[in-house]
Amino acid sequence: MQNTSNAKEAVLTLNKVCKNFGGVVAAKDISFDLYSGEVFGLIGPNGAGKTTLINLITGIYKVDGGTILLNGHDITKTPAHTRARRGITRTFQHPHLLNRCDIETNIYLGVDLAKKNKLLKSLDHKKLLDELLEVAGLKLNMRDGIDKLAYGQQKLLEVVRAILTRPSVLLLDEPAAGLNQKEMEHIVALVDIAIKMNSAVLLIEHRMDLVMSICDRITVLNFGNQIANGKPAEIQDNPVVIEAYLGRKRGA
Amino acid sequence: MILQLIVTGISLGVVYGLIGMGMVLIFRAVGIVNFAQGDFLMLGAFICFAFNQKMGMPIWLSFAITAVLIGLSGIVFQFITYWPLRDAQDKTIIVSTLGASIALREMTKLIWGSTPQTIDPLRGGIVKIAGALLQWQYVIIIVFAALLMSMVYFLLEKTLLGNIMQATAQDKYAASLMGIPIIVAIGLTFFISMLITGAGGVMLAPIFFITNTMGVMAGVKAFAAVVIGGFGSVQGAIIGGLLIGLIEVFAGTYVSTTYKDTVVFAVLIISLLVRPQGIFGEKISEKA
Amino acid sequence: MRKLKIKNLIILFLIALAFALIINFPHISSIYMIRVLNMTMITYLAVLSLYVVFGMAGQSSFAQCGLMGIGAYITANMCTRWGFSPIFGMIMSMLGTALFAFIIGFALFRLKRFYFSFSTIALMTILNGIFANWTKGTGGPVGMGNLVQFSVGGFVFDTEAKYFYLIIGFSIAASIIIWKLFRSPLGRSFMAVRDNEIAASCMGINNLLTKNIAFAISGILCGLAGSLFAFLSGYISATSFALPQSQLYLVVIMIGGSSSPIGALIGSILINLLPEWLRFLKDYMMLIYGVGIMGLMVVLPEGLVGGGKDLYAKYIKRKRSRVDAEQGL
Repeated sequence: MQNTSNAKEAVLTLNKVCKNFGGVVAAKDISFDLYSGEVFGLIGPNGAGKTTLINLITGIYKVDGGTILLNGHDITKTPAHTRARRGITRTFQHPHLLNRCDIETNIYLGVDLAKKNKLLKSLDHKKLLDELLEVAGLKLNMRDGIDKLAYGQQKLLEVVRAILTRPSVLLLDEPAAGLNQKEMEHIVALVDIAIKMNSAVLLIEHRMDLVMSICDRITVLNFGNQIANGKPAEIQDNPVVIEAYLGRKRGA
Repeated sequence: MILQLIVTGISLGVVYGLIGMGMVLIFRAVGIVNFAQGDFLMLGAFICFAFNQKMGMPIWLSFAITAVLIGLSGIVFQFITYWPLRDAQDKTIIVSTLGASIALREMTKLIWGSTPQTIDPLRGGIVKIAGALLQWQYVIIIVFAALLMSMVYFLLEKTLLGNIMQATAQDKYAASLMGIPIIVAIGLTFFISMLITGAGGVMLAPIFFITNTMGVMAGVKAFAAVVIGGFGSVQGAIIGGLLIGLIEVFAGTYVSTTYKDTVVFAVLIISLLVRPQGIFGEKISEKA
Repeated sequence: MRKLKIKNLIILFLIALAFALIINFPHISSIYMIRVLNMTMITYLAVLSLYVVFGMAGQSSFAQCGLMGIGAYITANMCTRWGFSPIFGMIMSMLGTALFAFIIGFALFRLKRFYFSFSTIALMTILNGIFANWTKGTGGPVGMGNLVQFSVGGFVFDTEAKYFYLIIGFSIAASIIIWKLFRSPLGRSFMAVRDNEIAASCMGINNLLTKNIAFAISGILCGLAGSLFAFLSGYISATSFALPQSQLYLVVIMIGGSSSPIGALIGSILINLLPEWLRFLKDYMMLIYGVGIMGLMVVLPEGLVGGGKDLYAKYIKRKRSRVDAEQGL
């Protein structure tokens, strides 16, 4: 296993990534590195461009400028499904499960993705699945439809599926939104497993207690701009960040 | 020769455009694609046949009565296929309209038989325009279809009724909050949509024979017109219809009579590939 | 545990019963009835193809009957005009149709949702135009007659009863393969594309290629159905492969329910056998279908199988709550 010194190579690198929608700037010159085994927090007021950034990294949107590197290879022009096969997995703010399929089909989609990777093919996916379900506190009847699950269970299931793909980059889009305290603890435990797996985790979250407790580094977005970077403690005291959040409150 | 072809093409095209316009109105109002639209064209032709040939009424009177009757049948159609399914999935409603299409075809066959029939043209004889001999009925079709189209356009854009219909089409919930009875607005949309489609049937009837399957091809070509023009756009339907009509007539003359429909649909596929959103359509974008 | 065993026993019993029925059916039934059943199973294969592309991959195609036509004409040309062996002709029908679907899919699947449906309507109309007019390849408006019978080695399938076993055999094989597909990575990718294309691509699924593969698999089934149709009826013409027939297949799968192959089977049986059972209504049959499907969509939008499942789920729920209540007491 690699040590966590600065000499370590970044798994994912964003280099001056830009995106506009019409005249609206959703991302302007966003740059950061993601290292395996760390949790990187991405925070900012609503509409700051956080989800857009995930869409850019996964390839749902095409960037207007800048480059994205995965393990040193340029993936800026790579289609979304190829990026997923190379190890970028995400969850959605509102779970994107296959709502007409049963739970088994949904979960095994993750295993299918892992099996497309030669290095991961022979690993024990069943064991990992059992472990993840246990940690997530999900007791499921595999043949049930997705509509039988509560909202929180659906979100947990999506995180389970994402980790099941053994991602090198795991992008979590507000995993704890709408979850109760107990479910949030399950999310934290799941993220721990991903870190032990040496994934690089990018976390978007509005619940500051969660962000501050599990993130190693944080970057703050506002109107598509990166307004602050640093460790949780530094971010908490940063006047620019406070203003961005308070300013939003005043406006709303 | 060329002028004759153009006039024939345009007259077919305006009828396709008219049916297409009917489809677009329904699509904009309730967001579904009506697969039975062509069959209302056929129904219009048969009803007019009944008044004109069976009862011996003059063609213009038959035409007027037919148009109103078909419009009313559109309201009935709306109550049967769309209203009970308004909260269902798209595919359910589509299949329901497919069922209506089959039912209409079979019903007319049971009532009027499967022998091809014909009716009087709106005006017979030949007219000489710019040195070319043209059949009156083609000219009449163009004039009359243009008239109908502008009337519908005027109704939609310039009157209160049109505003109500458009408001309902854009946001049913908001419209109902504003005190607009949705059912009336939607019913009216179906009325107008079917009225112009049935009128198209009456106009086409003297050119083609009236059979219970005449609506299939006309309906599919109207689809093609709507798609080429840009789904959801009224102008698109008209322009698309004209294109389809002209392509059909010219392909029939210069390529091959038997393959004219093949050429029309090949053009459709090519146009879909080059510009999936159609001439007037907005770019289709995916929401994440 | 005990319950599960009983359930398995019932299923086994049903399978055995079905087998006994199938094997004995030609002996106890009229030739006419066997013929109706043969056509039913060919319809089933075509509708099963629609299950793959529409039920699983979510793409409503109006071109299935055209694909079936391609299969039929390939068989007719291969076996009757050029004298290849029927088996070879049938395989070529399946492969040729699949290849055609796969290639044309690259063009059509660039379009989404009902834009795709329209393009398949266009494709269907183009194919029908070619079937009806290409005198050299399809016999044009006259069609192609006097087609050779299917044969394996020296064994010729020259009666309806022999075809019955052949077609049933293919149908069962196809059903098992499609059933397996449902729980395979490929099947899952179909359903992922159907339910959510964005989520699918984020799970490493190539949407375009996946739809193409689904269309190609449906092409194999259509090719098989068309080939069997050509062998069975001995005469094919463009009128058998037209848009209304394709529309009917879509109606059939919606009657049965697009969520499982059983829906396809039930729909095919209903559409083919109901006219026989209700012969006094024969002239009104299509009208009844038309009105019936409209009514069915209101009452059971998920088709008969979907509706049945819902009922069963309700029954189980009620039973459970009753048991809970009793235990509570």
